[in-house]
Amino acid sequence: MLVLSRKVGEVIAIGDQISVTVVEVKGGTVRLGITAPQDMTIYRQEIYLKVQQENKQAADWNLDDLERIAALAGTGEKE
Amino acid sequence: MSLIKVPSTRFGEQEIEEEKVIRMPEGMLGFPDKRFVLLTPPKPGPFLWFQSAEDPNLAFVVVDAKECVPELTFPLTSDEFQKLELDPERPDLIFLLVVTMAPDPLDITVNLQGPIALNAEKLIAKQIVLDGVNYTTRHPFFAPAARQAAGRDTA
Repeated sequence: MLVLSRKVGEVIAIGDQISVTVVEVKGGTVRLGITAPQDMTIYRQEIYLKVQQENKQAADWNLDDLERIAALAGTGEKE
Repeated sequence: MSLIKVPSTRFGEQEIEEEKVIRMPEGMLGFPDKRFVLLTPPKPGPFLWFQSAEDPNLAFVVVDAKECVPELTFPLTSDEFQKLELDPERPDLIFLLVVTMAPDPLDITVNLQGPIALNAEKLIAKQIVLDGVNYTTRHPFFAPAARQAAGRDTA
């Protein structure tokens, strides 16, 4: 992993289309400003991982589960 | 119109018109599958099955967001809008929420943070990732009132 030291206001360029600016450093938190092409999706990694993990769990089900929830939803108890 | 066979471990072999296969170029996060079909269970209800056309084992239970959280909007970036090839004039857009099962069926949740955006006209889908307090991965499907009525929620 490449490790660089930067001060507030300084920028890291990744290729010619992406730049990351250190906006603020305060109490152990670094605020970053990111400029990137529209077609790049930028997430905080933990959110991406959270959705990925939820997908894995959601994929683990069987037809009995479906029978039971369908029975409940059919009784008008749905939100 | 040609029919393709979609084997499914849960629902047996399904015959689907090839035109009804949903393309998902980026797949569901964490899974490689790029083609899915949306199956309607024999019993009417809010739940649909989002079955991989590539892996018989992979299926998700999904529900139309309008049926579940009608008050919530799901923003798309212009890039996502383009990737879904939505018609800017009349976008035929549906959001499907992935259901996570629980040992007690009253505890099932829907994932608001990673809804599946579906172009219902062209059948192109993308799982989008949303950030914000409204978008949790585990939103209870059943309202607290229903849970209380069933005596499951003492809080």
